[in-house]
Amino acid sequence: MQIVITRSAQLMALLGGLVLCLLVGMTCISILGRALNTVGHGGTLGALGLWLAAYTGPVKGDYELIEAGIAFAIFAFLPICQLKAGHARVDLIATALPARLNRILTAFWEGVLAAIIIVIGWRLYLGFLEKIDNGQTTFLLQMPVWWAYGASFLAALVAGLVGVYCALMRLRDVPTGTPHMPTGEGAEL
Amino acid sequence: MSAFAIGLWSFPVLLALIFLRAPIGAAMFLMGMGGLWLITGSPDMALNLLKGESYSTFSSYSLSIIPMFLLMGQFATLSGMSTSLFRAAEGWLGHRKGGVAMASVGACAGFGAICGSSLATAATMGRVALPELRRYGYSGGFATATLAAGGTLGILIPPSVILVIYAILTEQNIASLFLAAFVPGILAAIGYMLTIAIYVRVNPTSAGVKARVPYAERLRALLEIWPVIAVFGLVVGGIYAGWFTPTEGAAVGAAGTGLLALVRGNMTWALFQQSIIATAISSAMIFFIILGAKLYNSFLALTQMPQELSLWVVSQGYAPLTVLILILVFYLVMGCLMDSLSMILLTIPIFWPVMAGLDFGLISLLDMQAARLAQGIADGVAMAPDLLAAAQTKLAEGVPLARDEFRALGLRPVTQAMHADFNTTLTAIWFGILVLIVVEVGLITPPVGMNLFIINALDRTTPITATYRAVMWFVTSDLIRVAILVAFPGITLFLLR
Repeated sequence: MQIVITRSAQLMALLGGLVLCLLVGMTCISILGRALNTVGHGGTLGALGLWLAAYTGPVKGDYELIEAGIAFAIFAFLPICQLKAGHARVDLIATALPARLNRILTAFWEGVLAAIIIVIGWRLYLGFLEKIDNGQTTFLLQMPVWWAYGASFLAALVAGLVGVYCALMRLRDVPTGTPHMPTGEGAEL
Repeated sequence: MSAFAIGLWSFPVLLALIFLRAPIGAAMFLMGMGGLWLITGSPDMALNLLKGESYSTFSSYSLSIIPMFLLMGQFATLSGMSTSLFRAAEGWLGHRKGGVAMASVGACAGFGAICGSSLATAATMGRVALPELRRYGYSGGFATATLAAGGTLGILIPPSVILVIYAILTEQNIASLFLAAFVPGILAAIGYMLTIAIYVRVNPTSAGVKARVPYAERLRALLEIWPVIAVFGLVVGGIYAGWFTPTEGAAVGAAGTGLLALVRGNMTWALFQQSIIATAISSAMIFFIILGAKLYNSFLALTQMPQELSLWVVSQGYAPLTVLILILVFYLVMGCLMDSLSMILLTIPIFWPVMAGLDFGLISLLDMQAARLAQGIADGVAMAPDLLAAAQTKLAEGVPLARDEFRALGLRPVTQAMHADFNTTLTAIWFGILVLIVVEVGLITPPVGMNLFIINALDRTTPITATYRAVMWFVTSDLIRVAILVAFPGITLFLLR
């Protein structure tokens, strides 16, 4: 079970990362296209300039692609954050509390976190149905908005599963104290 | 209980949850949802809000800059530029008293120019510089404290993830904030180097000596760091010059450092995966907190608490400077316990309206009007000499010009409203930089200072108490710098006026 959960969290993170890298590449191409187009319109390059002005330009709908892609990427990043206990916390009183109480608190909040992610996923699903119903599309590309909602919902589903798994594992740790889960290497900022 | 009272009480309750070890994003999410429920009398509004809120937060174009800057920092770590930066700084500074430590600070500042995160800077430079410091006989606690403090330059020197979030929260221009952060960032590096110089004179046994490096070698090492300058110049310069949006700038930066890592042969599939995972964890953490903060702020906005608090503070007639100092002290105290991002997301929506309501007199109407006249003269606008002379005399006498007087000169008028706007903008930027510095001090103040933990994890032989003792020197340097920047807002703002 642990393997399946870990693998799926990693896979989602890599998928999200792939999308992020694609967006980075697309943005650079878009900037380059826009720059070449501007140079072409400058009128100092003669025929080459006309060609540049006609055939180069920013990627159409680049902002829309970024918005849709980043939404999926962030939802896809949630499972690994959950699994590696990456959510920011204040551990000030942790050292003052007995170990058992600490484990209970950890398990409790992990459960709350899982519940929140499930609520987010549930509401996202309803939003997804609404977007299918009203057929909303993006402005330039006419891309249906529900596509991105759907992809995000799938990622949120994995996040929910990972969240429940983490909560159960933490609960299992409470009586024995044998850790089944990372104690939080934390996120970097 | 009135809505205002609920809003006011929600804050201590939220803090209590956070100190009971709730994940910060979850605590804000709960308070936001619960608060909306309590005020509207049913959960419907909160639940309806949530249908689109998570997607719209995660898909925000302006926020998409965050994962891109994080990716840029991760790739910067892989690029191996940390070693080149350290070699270059060591060549020029290493032979001085405490020179290798100064070089570490210099290299951290350089790395901060291509990395927007303090912990990544501390960790990356720590790996490079700690063995060298050890080799030249620098004492354990001094070495770790130097790197922990140096790491904060990652966020003080633009690009900076925290500054981006502040800009979004207060609706300020990211480019202006980056520009304003530059001089205070350099001052921080200089301050740390001075601290090191003093420290090694007070504790002569804490540092060894290193031989001078010949100039030819120094120059060669300096040339090696050109990619850092190129990437920094392109990203920050491009954003400032308006070649691209901040998000696009971050994408250019990520592509630049990624390419660098690839070209220098440091980008293996395994390391690439590691960078992606690290970016993923940080991004998810940040966006989860942002989502929670958005819900909590929707609730706060409904209670009118921030506006009423702001009005109340203004009506009390406290000196603006007193309020500012109290807020900064609050951040310093909280910074000992909390991480910087959560603190900013939690408190800026409450503190910023208060600050915006106060007048720090950062620029006078007369100065703005005089600048408009000077601009007109410089642009060669044809102005009637007698009218111009009359206008200049009026300004010299301290009488502001009216709208019509500008029109008569053929210039766009500078009005009271424009002055108030610009004054608020300057306040936002100045306050942002000050907050940035004080929350970063939180990264190196015991007991909870993330940079201290990161560096100490790299050096198991040094007890954390030794780091704690030495780092207080750097904290002192930070506090002196904050005092200077509060006393002279011009240091932060002169590039923008």
